[in-house]
Amino acid sequence: MTTTEGKRATYKQRYEPDDDGLRFQELTYTGNFVGMDPVTDGIKGDKMMRARAKSRVLEKVSKEDVLRDEFTIDELNDLNNYLAWNIWDVLVMRATEGVSGMIPRQEYEILAFMHEFYRWPEILRMTTDEVGGAQGVMDIGATARREIGTKINSVHDWCIGAVGFGMGRCGLLALEAIGPDDYIEESNIILKFMQRVLWGKRQDGYILNSQDRYRCRIHEPELLSQITSQLEPLDEGGPAHAKFTQFNAAAELLSFLDHYDCRLGLGDTGPYELPDGQLLILRDLFVNEEIFHWSDVCDDAGLPHCYTLAFTIDPEKMGLAEIRVNDISTTFTRPKNYIEAITSGAVFAREKWNTPMGEVYPITVAELDKHLEKVQTATLKLYSKTSRMCRRDLIWNGQYVYYIDMILPHLRLAGTYEKACRDYDLWEIDQRVANYYYEITKRGFAQETVPSKIFSGSGYLPFSENADRRRSKYRWL
Amino acid sequence: MAEVLAEGYNVFDTSKSPSGTVKYLASPADVIALIQSGKLKEHILLVRGGTTTFLAPALSMGAIGVITMSGAPESHLGILSREFQTPCVMTAHLTSSESRYVVGNTPEAHFEEIAKTLDGRKVRLDCTDHEIGRVLADD
Repeated sequence: MTTTEGKRATYKQRYEPDDDGLRFQELTYTGNFVGMDPVTDGIKGDKMMRARAKSRVLEKVSKEDVLRDEFTIDELNDLNNYLAWNIWDVLVMRATEGVSGMIPRQEYEILAFMHEFYRWPEILRMTTDEVGGAQGVMDIGATARREIGTKINSVHDWCIGAVGFGMGRCGLLALEAIGPDDYIEESNIILKFMQRVLWGKRQDGYILNSQDRYRCRIHEPELLSQITSQLEPLDEGGPAHAKFTQFNAAAELLSFLDHYDCRLGLGDTGPYELPDGQLLILRDLFVNEEIFHWSDVCDDAGLPHCYTLAFTIDPEKMGLAEIRVNDISTTFTRPKNYIEAITSGAVFAREKWNTPMGEVYPITVAELDKHLEKVQTATLKLYSKTSRMCRRDLIWNGQYVYYIDMILPHLRLAGTYEKACRDYDLWEIDQRVANYYYEITKRGFAQETVPSKIFSGSGYLPFSENADRRRSKYRWL
Repeated sequence: MAEVLAEGYNVFDTSKSPSGTVKYLASPADVIALIQSGKLKEHILLVRGGTTTFLAPALSMGAIGVITMSGAPESHLGILSREFQTPCVMTAHLTSSESRYVVGNTPEAHFEEIAKTLDGRKVRLDCTDHEIGRVLADD
């Protein structure tokens, strides 16, 4: 450690009620609050957004609130505004990354956003019915408390509302395919599903990590105890530390590649403070998703569905000032480099998405070499395979990663995935969205309009105060 | 003090200061050819985007340093560079030019100027500052 010597950890101050957190970026957010003070990122931004809410939906809510059939218009607008800020908070800087050179991500993203908004509502309503109603959906969320290697996680659960509702509606508004008061009933279905899964998972009354100062401490103590018993000490500069961190990076890279350069392949939870003051992070890296046909190279390499890495960070060693596990399951710290402060680690493998927890097995650091080789082999083969695909295939494959994978874990646990495929044509492309394929590259829609509307927050138009909550879309004029 | 050729976001603080000849990679074929050449570790890699899939095999096989023309530490390539502990300067701009990257509204000339100026130069990355990463001449 060279740049943080002599600094003491101050991160605990971030959890004091009056603390506003650090600023991770200089940009500020306006959204639907034109003429008011600009909103910051981080803890202060969360406070500002909640202070502007008209309802109580952004505060801790009760089980009865979550079981209620639908949101009011004020609640819908508060969620719309908060999710828009949250999207800006986690993605505005990421969205500066420009073209991929490999995968046309902006193009596949916008198609998926709109597809989700159109198609998910009836599938999520069917799924809610199949699990016996709202409580069944909350129970799906609660499973994440007892498992590792599960895609019932922050990023997937957040995507239901933030992407399917928020970005989907925003994209269609920008395309002028819908108006602000279209599809209110459908918006309610999507957001209620999101709220129920997240509430069931967290069980502290909040739904998002940003409401809890960027903490996602969801796992039951018994599970954490089993995991920490497997931690091996890792000395910075030593071979075991290098082996563990290299495996972390390589597996994370493959999880990105298998999921078409998106965040659905990884999931962090934590930070859990251990009795010795170390901070535990759990990281799921999904290196082989069986529903993707291109993942055959991961099968060939003998990779499991998921590697879970558990590791501890010494906050004093890095002079930790703030740690965020954000709502897209990614950990950011100040100072930025936490890798050198990793002091212990453990790795686990879950062979299939439904492998029972009792059959999830640990991998010692000494055994990581052979797993690293598998990961690197699959990475090279998948890269070569992807580089030969035409643009259209890349866009539609990426679209499927978003549109299918974001709700896949919930449908799997509900037992409705096959029904959605069979009776609801889940893997078909809606004709409206198929036609948008030719529209999104015109007038810079995907590369200029979408980033400016979706990532700046300016496109999340509110529902009218007196709008009818039963409203769908009835007129195409 | 060595000449500062370019500056950008520093993805993470590190005392590592890799040195090499800048190699501009324009296509996946360029990435594959570089790996097959066996000379990956002789180069600081210059790429246009801040996404991670484009550079996937290079990162996996031990790239020593990366410069991008767009993106930020929160971008996927930023996250992976941190995990690999590969020093990385993102959204680099030339200190000799007024041209800057603007999301969705950057002329091709901006990228071409950076590629033309840096490709083939011997450089060293300085990533010790919390916020700013620097590309230094190392000729």
